Amino acid sequence: MGAERNTAAVPTAAPRSGARVVLGLLWSDKFAFVAALFLIFVVSCAVFGPLLLGGTATSMNLRLRNFPPFTLDHGWLFVLGADSLGRSMLARLMVASQNTIAVAAAAVAFAMTVGGVLGLMAGFLGGWFGNIVMRLADIIMSFPSLLIAVVVLYMFEPRVANLVLVLGITRMPIYMRTSRAEVLEIRERPFVAAARVMGASSFRVVFRHVAPTVLPTLTTIAALDFAFVMLAESALSFLGIGIQPPEITWGLMVAQGRNYLNVAWWLAFFPGLAIMLTTLSLNLLSSWLRIAADPTQRWRLEIPRGRDG
Amino acid sequence: MGTYLARRAVHSFVSLAGLLILVFFLARLTGDPTNLYLPLDATLEARQEFAERHGFNDPVIVQFGRFLSGLAEFDLGTSIRKHRPAADVVLEAIPVTLGLAAVTMIVALLGAIVVGSLAAYRPGRIFDRLASVISLASASAPDFWVAITAILLFAVTLGWLPTSGTGGFAIEYWIMPIGVLLIRPFGLMVQVVRGSMLTALSSAYVKTARAKGVTERAVIFVHALRNGMLPVITVASDQAAGIANGAVIVETIFGWPGVGKLMIDSILYRDFAVIQASILITAAVIFTINIVVDIAYAVLDPRIRHH
Amino acid sequence: MKWRMTLFGLSLPLAAGALAMMIAGGAVAQDKTVTVVLSEEPDIVDPCESSRSNIGRIVKQNITETLTEIDPKDGSITPRLATAWEQVDELTWRFTLREGVKFHDGSDFNAENAVIAINRTLNPNQDCEVRLKFFGNIKLMPAAVDTYTLEVKTETPQPILPTLMGTMTITGPKTQEAKGTQNPVGTGPYKFVSWTPGQEVVLERFDGYWGDKPEAEGARYIWRNESAVRAAMVATGEADIAPNIALQDATDPKMDFSYFNSETSRLRIDLTRAPLDDIRVRQALNYAIDREAMRGTIFSKDVVPSTNLVVPSISGHNPDLKVWPYDPAKAKELLAAAKADGVPVDNEITILGRLGIYPNATEAMEATHAMLQEAGFNVKLQMVEVNQWVDIFTRPYAEDRGPVLQQAQHDNNSGDAVFTVFFKYGCEGPQSTICDKEIDRLIAEASAATGDKRRELWQALFRRLHEDIVPDVMMFHMVGYTRINPRLDFTPSLSTNSELQISQIKFN
Repeated sequence: MGAERNTAAVPTAAPRSGARVVLGLLWSDKFAFVAALFLIFVVSCAVFGPLLLGGTATSMNLRLRNFPPFTLDHGWLFVLGADSLGRSMLARLMVASQNTIAVAAAAVAFAMTVGGVLGLMAGFLGGWFGNIVMRLADIIMSFPSLLIAVVVLYMFEPRVANLVLVLGITRMPIYMRTSRAEVLEIRERPFVAAARVMGASSFRVVFRHVAPTVLPTLTTIAALDFAFVMLAESALSFLGIGIQPPEITWGLMVAQGRNYLNVAWWLAFFPGLAIMLTTLSLNLLSSWLRIAADPTQRWRLEIPRGRDG
Repeated sequence: MGTYLARRAVHSFVSLAGLLILVFFLARLTGDPTNLYLPLDATLEARQEFAERHGFNDPVIVQFGRFLSGLAEFDLGTSIRKHRPAADVVLEAIPVTLGLAAVTMIVALLGAIVVGSLAAYRPGRIFDRLASVISLASASAPDFWVAITAILLFAVTLGWLPTSGTGGFAIEYWIMPIGVLLIRPFGLMVQVVRGSMLTALSSAYVKTARAKGVTERAVIFVHALRNGMLPVITVASDQAAGIANGAVIVETIFGWPGVGKLMIDSILYRDFAVIQASILITAAVIFTINIVVDIAYAVLDPRIRHH
Repeated sequence: MKWRMTLFGLSLPLAAGALAMMIAGGAVAQDKTVTVVLSEEPDIVDPCESSRSNIGRIVKQNITETLTEIDPKDGSITPRLATAWEQVDELTWRFTLREGVKFHDGSDFNAENAVIAINRTLNPNQDCEVRLKFFGNIKLMPAAVDTYTLEVKTETPQPILPTLMGTMTITGPKTQEAKGTQNPVGTGPYKFVSWTPGQEVVLERFDGYWGDKPEAEGARYIWRNESAVRAAMVATGEADIAPNIALQDATDPKMDFSYFNSETSRLRIDLTRAPLDDIRVRQALNYAIDREAMRGTIFSKDVVPSTNLVVPSISGHNPDLKVWPYDPAKAKELLAAAKADGVPVDNEITILGRLGIYPNATEAMEATHAMLQEAGFNVKLQMVEVNQWVDIFTRPYAEDRGPVLQQAQHDNNSGDAVFTVFFKYGCEGPQSTICDKEIDRLIAEASAATGDKRRELWQALFRRLHEDIVPDVMMFHMVGYTRINPRLDFTPSLSTNSELQISQIKFN
C-alpha cells in the first residue's frame, strides 16, 4: 500500500499520438506485451465462449472419461483431454472463463467501489464516521469469510451473484484502509488546500481532487486482488461452500479435478494454469502500467536496455 | 504512547464487540443444528427435545442474552459437537495455527527481503524479471492443488518427506505445510520489497551514503532497507492475520489441528459456541498483532510517533 | 560481492532440500501396532455413539462389546457378551451372560452392570445415537435376575430384540452418566489409552480379555480429510489401513480392496408434487437412467444396480425384482402419454444433491441431470450441504416445495429390513413421501412376525414398492474401497463401514 505511494499518478503525458506511444511502451516490455495479448484472448473467451461452446461444454460422454490430452483422436475439442464425465476440457475452460472473470471482476469492482468510497469519506471527514468505518474494516478483516459464505449460501442459492457478494465484502477492508491512508496524506497537500481555500465543497474536493490521486494505488491493489478473488473462489469450492455444478468456474474445475490428481492430472492442471496465467498477466500489465504512468520511471521502458542503477 | 495504546485498546474492544454480535446473529441464520446431531431416523419428539434442551427453540435474542451472561463469567459455552468447553477446544487449536503463521511469516519475510532487494538492485535485469515472474506465478496457484501435488511428489513418489500430520511437530513435518502457506505471502512481499527498495535506492540519503563510500552491502541492507521496511511490515501483518484466519486449507489437507480447520468444521456442523469462541479468540490475537505492528511502526518511523 | 549474495539466496532452498532428504523415511511403522487413518476426527469417543462410523471403527467391539453380534453377511445373530437368549413371553427376553469377563477398570461384567450400561445408553435425557437410531419408539426395562441372567421387558412385542442388542455396546459401570465420556471403558480386547484432540486416539491390548489374545498389540487412529492423502499414507507406510478411500485413489489392486458397504444409493422421488405424482413419470425417470454407463466410471465397477433399498444380505430383500433397463425411448413414450392426460410434465423438477454423500456424488448428479435432460425432462441441478439437505429430506416438509428428486443413500447393516421400511416408506415415516395402506399393513404385520413369515412379508412389501409405487430412482448397492498395507493380513467386509475389529487383523 505505502509502497505505491510514490506512484501517485501523473497521467501519461502524450507529446506524440497517444495510442502509438502506449503501444510503443508496451512493445518495449515484452512480458507485458504478451500479457496483454493473453488477457485479450481470455476476455474474448469470456464473451464468446458460452455462446459458441455452451452446449459442447455440458455434453457428457462417459466413454471418454478422463481422456488424456494432446491427441487429436477425438477432434480438436479434446486436445486438452476430457474431464471425469468425458466433457471436453477445452470447451469447459473457455465457457468457465465467463463466470470466472465475471465473479472476480464484479467482486473486485464491488470491493473497490464500496471500500474505496467509504475509505475516502472516512479519511476526509474523519471523526466518528471515520472511526466507524475503520472499526468496520477491523470487523470484516477478522470475520471468517467462510461463515459469510455459509450464511449466504444457506439462505440463498450458490449462484454467481451471491458469490460476488461474499467475495466482495471480504475484500473491502484493504480498499477502506488504503484509500483512507492516502487521503490523510493527500489532504494536507498544497493543491487540495488551495481547492478548499478557493471555496470548493468537501464533496467536490474529495471526488474531483482526491479520488483521482488515490485511484492508481487502488487499481494496483485491484490487480493483485483479482488473483486473490479467483483463488478464494476456488478455495470455497474446495471446502464445498462455493459455486456448485451445473455452474462452472476455473476454481470449481480445479477443486473437482483435485480428486483425480494421481490418475488424471489434466483435470486440475489446466484450469489451475488458466488462473495462474491470467493473474500473472494482470500483474505484469499492472506493473508495466505503474512504470509507464510514472514520469520518474518511464525511462526504463524508453531506453532499449536497462542501464545499471 | 500510553494514551495512544489506550485508544487502540478501546478501538479493538469496540471492534470485538461488533464482531461478536455480528457472528452470533449471522451464525444463527445458517439453520438449526438439530438435523446434524440426530440420526435421520430420530423421531420428531426426539428432535424437539433436543432443540429444547439446547435452547434452539428460544428467540435468538434470548439466546444472545444467555450468551452474554455466560460471557460475563468468562464462559464461552459448551461445544455440542465435542461435549467440552468451547474455550478449551479453541485454545488447543490456537497455538498450532500461530506456530504455522509465525514460521511462515519469518521465512517469507527473510526470503522476500533477500530476493526483493536483489531484484531492486538491478531492476529490469534477468534476475529481477525472473524473480518477479516466478514469485507472482507461484502466488497465483490454488494452494490445495499445490498441497496435494506436493504430497504426491515429495512423499509418495520421491519419499523425501512424510505425507502429512504433525508428527509431534518434528521438523520434517513442517516443511510441506510451511512451503504451501509460504508461496502467496512470499510472492506478494517480494513485490512490495522490490517496489519499496526501488524508491529507497533512488532517494537522496542512499546517494549520500554511496558518495561517502559506504559499501554496497551496507547501502542495500542497512540504509535502503531500513527505510523501505515500513510498507513491508504493513503487508506482512496483513498476511499474518490472513494466515491466522485462513490456514484452513493447509490444516485440512495436512491434518494439522489448527483453528482454521476447527472453524470450518464448527461452521459446517453449526457448533455455535465454538464458532463464537474461535472468532473471538482469533480476532483478539489479530488485534494484538495489529497493535504490535503499530508500535513497530512508531519505532521505525519517528514521524508517526506524534501522529 | 553480487555473487556472494546470489549464492546466499540460492543456498536457502538447497539446504532445506538436503535437510529433507536426511530425515526422510523415519516414520514407517514396523511394530505390531495398527495405524488406521479415518476420514474425520471423531467428535467424541463415547460408546453410546458407536453407530456413527468413525466412532464405531474405534470403539465398537474393540473397546466396548455388544451382547450379541450381528453377522453382516446374512443378518444372523451370534453370541458375544451373551452366550444364549430366549424369549420368555411376548414382552420378555432373557439373556444368559458370559462368565469371567472383566471390564478394563477391573469391575466385573454381570447382569447388574449390564443393566447400568443399557440404562445409560437409553437415558432419555441424553442424545445417544444408538438410542435415537435403533430404540426411538422402544422402551426397554432391563433387570438382573441373578448374577449372569439379564431379563429385558418391553412395552410392545419385540421379536428381534437380540438383533437390536447387537447395536448397543456395554460400557463399564463407573462411566459417567452423561454422554461425552473422555475415557471409554469396556470389556473389549483393547483398552482406551489416550485421545490427543486433533492428533490421535491410542488403544492398547487388554491383557485380561476373556477371548483369544489378538495379534496386534495396539491401535492408533489418525485422520485426514483428503482421500488422496489417506491413500498416500498407506502407500508410504505411514498408516496400515485407510478404511474409506475414493474410487479413483484405489489404483493398486495389491493394496486396495472393494467391499459392499451395505449402503444403497437412490434418488428419492417426492410423490406428492406434480408431475411426480404420476406413476408413468416415475417409471420414465427410471428408464431414463443409464446405470451401466455409470458403473465402472463414476461408480466402481463392483457396484450392483439395485431394486430394493436394503442390500441382499438383509432378511427381507426380494431377489426376484427386475432392475430397470435403460430405455430412453420408453421414457419418452411414457412422458408423452402422461402429457396427453394433462400431467404437467414440463414443470421444472429439481435434482437436489448432497455434497460428498458418497465419493463422486457431484459427478453422479451431473450425469443424472444430463441423462434426464436427454430423455426430455425439465430438470435443474442443485448441490447443497448436509444441513440444508436434511431440512428438505425429513419431516416436517415445507408446504411450498416443488417437485424434487433427492439424492440419498441408505445404510442398513443391522440384519433386518425393519430398520429401513417404516422410516422410508411408512405413512408416518420421518423421511417418507408416500402413504399407502397396503404398505402400512405389511409393515405392521411383518414387524410382529418372525422367521420365514417375516421375510416373506418384507419381500412382498419391496415388490409392491418396486412394481406398483415406484417411490425411488434406484441406483446401486454401493461398494467402498479400503487400502491395506501389505504387511497386514486382513480383508474388509460388509461391516467395515461401521466397525473395524482390530482383533481380526493378522500380520504377514
